Amino acid sequence: MEFKNFSLFINQTKVNRFADDLAGGKIMSTLCKKCGKQYYPPAADCSSCMGSEMEWKELKAEGKLLTFTKIHVPPEHFAVRQPLMPFSSIQFEPCPIGIIEVGKELPIMGWIPKMDIKKIKVGMKMKASPFALPDGKITIVLEPV
Amino acid sequence: MKKVGIVGIGHGKFGVRSDASLRELVFEAVKACMDDSGVTLKEVDSMVTGVAGDEFSFGIQPSAQVHDYIGFHPKPNFRVEAACATGSAALRTGWMNIASGLADVVLVVGVEKMTELPTSTATEIMGRAGDATWEYPFGTTFPGYYAMIANAHMAEYGTTEEQLARVAVKNHYYGSLNPYAQMQKEITLEKAITSFTVAYPLKLYDCSLITDGAAAIILASEEKAKSISKKPIWIAGLGCGTDAMRLGDRKSLTSLEATRVAARAAYKMAGVGPSDIDIATAHDCFTIAEIVAYEDLGFCEKGEGGKLIEAKETYVGGRIPVNVDGGLKSKGHPLGATGVSMAIEITKQLRGEADQRQVKNAEIGLTHNVGGSGQVSFIHIFRRE
Repeated sequence: MEFKNFSLFINQTKVNRFADDLAGGKIMSTLCKKCGKQYYPPAADCSSCMGSEMEWKELKAEGKLLTFTKIHVPPEHFAVRQPLMPFSSIQFEPCPIGIIEVGKELPIMGWIPKMDIKKIKVGMKMKASPFALPDGKITIVLEPV
Repeated sequence: MKKVGIVGIGHGKFGVRSDASLRELVFEAVKACMDDSGVTLKEVDSMVTGVAGDEFSFGIQPSAQVHDYIGFHPKPNFRVEAACATGSAALRTGWMNIASGLADVVLVVGVEKMTELPTSTATEIMGRAGDATWEYPFGTTFPGYYAMIANAHMAEYGTTEEQLARVAVKNHYYGSLNPYAQMQKEITLEKAITSFTVAYPLKLYDCSLITDGAAAIILASEEKAKSISKKPIWIAGLGCGTDAMRLGDRKSLTSLEATRVAARAAYKMAGVGPSDIDIATAHDCFTIAEIVAYEDLGFCEKGEGGKLIEAKETYVGGRIPVNVDGGLKSKGHPLGATGVSMAIEITKQLRGEADQRQVKNAEIGLTHNVGGSGQVSFIHIFRRE
């Protein structure tokens, strides 16, 4: 799978297997073989010891919600196009997003499709899972546990 | 360390400037700067141009358009970029030019021409100022990043949407008194609170504007400054700090570490503390950003920013007046020009030329300018004597 099925724009990176693993149902981090520092988002290099020998490790992607929002005015890429039928309109209801903290300071960003924004609270326990979209892209969703 | 002073300021009209191009906006500001200082470009040794986005200017090397149009060639011009803090990065670079001895007189220009693109495209470009690989795929926008800071601040300190709106009311009030501001009208608290949501909990009036505009400053070494100007304003302290690219990787979501680091450096260099500051411009790209800035700059305790605006302590006559030029919120936020514009406002205040917005006997002023969602922060402290 091409990495840009996850990232939208960028396709050339040393960590492009992240998208394949995501499609296979796993959220992966990298771990520095030399100093043990763990990275999510995965990094090909370790800024802690300047090493580049990393191994891949699946995350148990559960943790507390650090923060969230719901973006009503989306960037162009996500904006709903004008409907084709004259005089019709569609109600655009955006999806909240949030960041959970997994393990020791590993933040995972994801969509929160199943929750009303008013019911989302900082600190609530959530889990992150890969999610395949109908157009072939792959992303991450958060839901309460 | 060599002393560096501001000897000339020139501020163009901020707004939707469909009448002017990038280079023409700069010409207005530079001309005003020449008029203010009496310095001609012949006397200027080198130039620094702050312009943030190649996308906005429809081509790389926007700074060359600028130095060409004002006829500055063949002398040096150095382009600087630090997202929304580009203007302050340019000022710092100008200071370095003089402090290093490379130049005696430097022209610092900040400019952005943002409204030629549709708003949705501008929103997309700004959104990608976060991490384009790991955050943008979740539809993040600039308001979205600060909305996440707002939700974290509200959860931790009980900051309210009404307190955020009060920042907007203040800045619109002062914008109405600033002839260079994009929005020159006051708003009510109710209007701010009931405006539509841009990114929960931030509403329309919590957000700064998309703006065209330019601003220019002439800096000079101590000796030159004294010969050019009767009342140069001295740059007494400079600070710069940085933080992680992604919000989730930050130590705190309720504070900008980049600002705290920059503030410590600038206060130390100037030999002053937060209570010595008479007037400040803080980076209010969103209302929550101004509240967080109060705390990070030491104007109040952590978590007390909402109460500081509620008590109107950041109005003229309050404990520490902040953004009494209208701020990014009402004066407008042409990315490259903002930091230069902030320094111009402080210069006017310290010269005693701020008209209805004047803070009495202001002697020490501070500018605070943040790049992106807090990836970089610049602070400058200015003194009259």
